[in-house]
Amino acid sequence: MTGLAIDDAAWASAWRPRAVGDKVLLSVGLVVCALVLPVWPGSLLVGLAAVVLALGPARVPARVFGRAVRLPLAFVVLGAVTAVVQVSGSGIGWAPDAAARGGALVGHALAGGAAVLLLATTTPMSDLLPALRRARVPGAVVEVASVTYRLLFVLLESLRTIREAQTSRMGYSTVRRSYRSSGVLAAAVLTRSWDRARRLQEGLAGRGMVTDLRVLPEVLPSSRVFLASTVTGLAALCALTLVTA
Amino acid sequence: MHIAEGFLPPAHAIGWTIAAAPFVVHGARAVVKEVRENPESTLLLGAAGAFTFVLSAIKLPSVTGSSSHPTGTGVGAILFRPPVMALLGTVVLLFQALLLAHGGLTTLGANAFSMAIVGPWAGYGAYRLARKASGNLLVGVFAGMAVADLATYVTTSLQLALAFPDASSGFAGAAVKFLGVFAVTQVPLAIAEGLLGVLLFRVLTVNARPELERLGVLERRPVDEDDDPTPTPTPAPAPTTSTDGEVTR
Repeated sequence: MTGLAIDDAAWASAWRPRAVGDKVLLSVGLVVCALVLPVWPGSLLVGLAAVVLALGPARVPARVFGRAVRLPLAFVVLGAVTAVVQVSGSGIGWAPDAAARGGALVGHALAGGAAVLLLATTTPMSDLLPALRRARVPGAVVEVASVTYRLLFVLLESLRTIREAQTSRMGYSTVRRSYRSSGVLAAAVLTRSWDRARRLQEGLAGRGMVTDLRVLPEVLPSSRVFLASTVTGLAALCALTLVTA
Repeated sequence: MHIAEGFLPPAHAIGWTIAAAPFVVHGARAVVKEVRENPESTLLLGAAGAFTFVLSAIKLPSVTGSSSHPTGTGVGAILFRPPVMALLGTVVLLFQALLLAHGGLTTLGANAFSMAIVGPWAGYGAYRLARKASGNLLVGVFAGMAVADLATYVTTSLQLALAFPDASSGFAGAAVKFLGVFAVTQVPLAIAEGLLGVLLFRVLTVNARPELERLGVLERRPVDEDDDPTPTPTPAPAPTTSTDGEVTR
């Protein structure tokens, strides 16, 4: 248990041993479909496909997936409503076809979000980052991102521990104290991050690190059946949408 | 404030990605150069990225009742400079999209443009100006962090207005709408984040002065050789215990 529910789900997912490229093709394909196909029935089909695949064969816990899909909902609904409200000389009113446009925005966003989540809940970041290196992102950048990923959990743990200690000492009992505690908390986490980085550096230097922290990547074999089903499925989804719409 | 996945039309998503790309590539070049010169900075930069991510897990009580989380791009810009933040911010946005379902992949370019580019540059500019004008670090920090937040929110609102112009009043009307709606949460948040920055740097100037000096935030204090805060390469002699149990150096 690391505290990031999506990351936990990714490590536990039944699709974790699948090749990263396979999963990226499927998810990015669904994301693109969600974006470019008409919302009815395209977004519905994409959303349905993402949810069924995640909860079915990938065995992502429904609670985690459901909660993660709902997270951006406040922004999506507020943004969609604002987009379809009309401001004119006579005041504020609904734009023509407001319900359809607002619904389309929410539909696109939910379907796209579910498609990204399908990748996020089946592929841990530490599998994705070596894939970025293969996609010719400079090694140094991938390295910095990997260290970020690894230090993240250490710092989140520190954050939680310090906050718990502050809370039990009435650190958040008033607004004034909350601010003071938050400032001290941020400072403590920042100095700890420097300390961790320095200690890691010293430890690695002692083990002969010269330029980077390269580790042997785990070999996850690509599945032809998976790739073929992905391409067929995406093509069927597009065809069905374009015929129905 | 991140634009959710699928919210921007395809043309806008691609356009903002192209707009953000040169800044992110410039940041990546800066990082590659830095790492080639001092390999140990990989870990410091990684720590900076992790800190920026974790900062968004700190909840600040806000005037409007709800609690908001800081964006952290202002503090990053002050500590690590805007070009590096363009890259680190984009990495953090990618992590937020994939680990927290916050933001998205197709909207990564638009979010990077507002949070990793405009926010840090505006914040850094405000920090330098305010610090120079007032001669006080904390005034500069408040201005830098608050402006970074405000600039991010204004950019996001304009991006949304450009994507969804008002049916009768066009882009201008839409800009007013989006700026107005998000001001309710974002303006108090900007002030809150400015205050957090002041408290953070007040602690840092006491507890982490050598680090701030190394990053160039504070000028090196002329010190006597005796109380030099930076560790000297030669290790201090181990304490020796004399026969009567008294510890002497």
